[in-house]
Amino acid sequence: MKRITRRALLATAMAVSAAGFVAPLQAQAGEITISHYFTGELGLKAFNEQIKRFEDATGHTLKDSPVGHEDYKTDILVRASGNSLPDVFSYWAGARVQFIADSGALYPIDGMWERAGLSDVIAGSIAASATKYNGHRYLVPFNYHYAGMFYNKAVLEKAGVSDMPTDWQGFLDLCDKLKAAGVTPIALGSANRWPAQFWFDYLLLRTAGPEYRAKLMSGNASYDDAEVQRAMNMWKDLADKGYFTENANADSWTDASDKVARGDAAMTLMGTWITGYWNGLGLVPGEDYDFFAFPSIEDGVPVTSVGPVDGLVIAANAANPEGAEAFLDFMVSNTGVQAAWSKAQGALSANVKVDPSNYNPVMLKAFNTVDKSEAFAFNYDLATPPPVAEVGLSMFARFMDDPSQVNDILSQAAADAKAAFEQ
Amino acid sequence: MERENRIWRLLLLALPLIVFSVLVIWPLLSSFYYSFTNWNGFSGDYEFVGLENFTRIWTDRLFFNAIINTAIWMAAAILLPTVLGLGLALLLDSKVRGAKVFKTVFYLPICLSAIVVGQIWVWIYQPDWGLLNTMIEQVTGDHFNYAWLARPGSALYSVIVAWSWQQTGLSMVIYLAGLTAVPSDLLEVCEIEGASAWQRVRHVIVPLLTPSTVVVVALSVINSLKGFDILFIMTGGGPFNSSDTLAMHMYNESFRKYLMGYGSAISVVLFLIALTIIGLYFRQLKKVDEIYG
Repeated sequence: MKRITRRALLATAMAVSAAGFVAPLQAQAGEITISHYFTGELGLKAFNEQIKRFEDATGHTLKDSPVGHEDYKTDILVRASGNSLPDVFSYWAGARVQFIADSGALYPIDGMWERAGLSDVIAGSIAASATKYNGHRYLVPFNYHYAGMFYNKAVLEKAGVSDMPTDWQGFLDLCDKLKAAGVTPIALGSANRWPAQFWFDYLLLRTAGPEYRAKLMSGNASYDDAEVQRAMNMWKDLADKGYFTENANADSWTDASDKVARGDAAMTLMGTWITGYWNGLGLVPGEDYDFFAFPSIEDGVPVTSVGPVDGLVIAANAANPEGAEAFLDFMVSNTGVQAAWSKAQGALSANVKVDPSNYNPVMLKAFNTVDKSEAFAFNYDLATPPPVAEVGLSMFARFMDDPSQVNDILSQAAADAKAAFEQ
Repeated sequence: MERENRIWRLLLLALPLIVFSVLVIWPLLSSFYYSFTNWNGFSGDYEFVGLENFTRIWTDRLFFNAIINTAIWMAAAILLPTVLGLGLALLLDSKVRGAKVFKTVFYLPICLSAIVVGQIWVWIYQPDWGLLNTMIEQVTGDHFNYAWLARPGSALYSVIVAWSWQQTGLSMVIYLAGLTAVPSDLLEVCEIEGASAWQRVRHVIVPLLTPSTVVVVALSVINSLKGFDILFIMTGGGPFNSSDTLAMHMYNESFRKYLMGYGSAISVVLFLIALTIIGLYFRQLKKVDEIYG
């Protein structure tokens, strides 16, 4: 604990009064423009409530333009090319932010980060992996998600399962048991391709480990390496045994989630946003559904959690960078904002000071799982550059269509990924 | 007086000219410009790479995949609505009962946007409870859950069926209009002379409908080149690029892989292909014009 000197007190008092004086002036000088992809019914309402809190607390005004999740990926690019990025926008941490940071489209927030003492506010593993690019801070994490094996409790009980598997053999036994009970063990809806990536992520991370995966994601390893082949063949083994629902490529992630909710399938490997979706359908967390962490496969491989981090960034040519910085600081530092937001979104709070008792039992379990894991990794399409992610996502869809082609698929992916890295 | 008129004319012409230049000519020229750069769509700095983007096209496996799909798409999107539209028009022109109702029913889909049509057909093709598979199950009595849009062998063709369903109404109406111009006494003479119905269609009606066919084919060509939205909604070019057309490939390279320079090069090639097809077609059109005046 630092000793509070009189000078520091005086300085703080002056700063506070100055801030109170300056803030209304800035609000008059110009509003803060913002764009984001939180457009679902729950998300948009909750986000607007947090914006309102910020406006009430600071006197700034925000002008907001939400865009649907999938369209957003294109929209922000079009706006960047037209030099009309909003002051603040939400973005997925990882390769996507790296990509626009490389283009010089982002405003570094190192100063604000220091002044606001965000290192004490944001979970260390998230700060380390999500906020720094090319030696500078660019992103404030707003929330993060965790991908796990979400299951229908009633279905597993009916199949006589009480202990969730912690190792690979246990997982295979569970699938066998479910199949014998007449339920398809695993639902997968890969129509939009990305839901399949979690299988690749976890199988590779649990066998080859996070270091090898990082090498693969950055182009220093190849898709026809023995490590990748092993992971893909474990996946093929599951498919060959008929553990996956039919026509994965025809279902969206919500179709697959519906199958589990209805009991047509037992479980699905999905991010914590599924809790937001299921709660919306009236399912009760901890009673109707729960999750277990992807089982360990190889001893000695560090336990890694996988998921995306949603963050807020500032455009390099923002008209109102001070207001934008104030907004970023407020959204992550204010525990009330963070708690309300994570609840509405079915997400984990990036702010460690948020009381975990705010979480429902399933989210609390997710929080503890991430907390205990040795590393946190972005899911595939956020971990590798966009041109390569395209190669991989197509590869997963092709694999789900015909797993017997796994060797062809991997050699094709190796060649395509190599070409994509060279671009 | 004369002078003032001219100024007015120029002024009135200037506005649409400016709008057209800003919204059509300028993007077209920018696209040409960017096709010689390695611009990623974001960055302020990029380099000129000469013809690199165009030479890369020749080694792009997915580009040739897209060319083949575009050829299939165009051939089917021109042929199917034209033939089906002609057939429907001939049937409905023969004063069958309820022809008016059928005309309306067949024309309705063209009033819907491609987004809506795409979504309707996504439901029809849905593997578990979609209309098509349910009907097949009813008829055969066997469990059937083929994923039409999610299998590489059927995705493109399934979209073509949806597309033709929408476009046939338009060709039908144009042919119906053309049929009113076929003189009924000529057909009566044929009938008296002992020509069969097929002979009348083959040797009298279809040749007389040539001007309508010109319009139908021209519209089909133009519409099929625009046929991006319905593919985007129904398959997004997938599964794994099996229904990628050139327009879809261009979109993927520019907006999913952030290779705006390369995407622009593809769009330039697409532009040249469209220009060639339309140019050839207009030459044919001139010949038809000379015959039919």
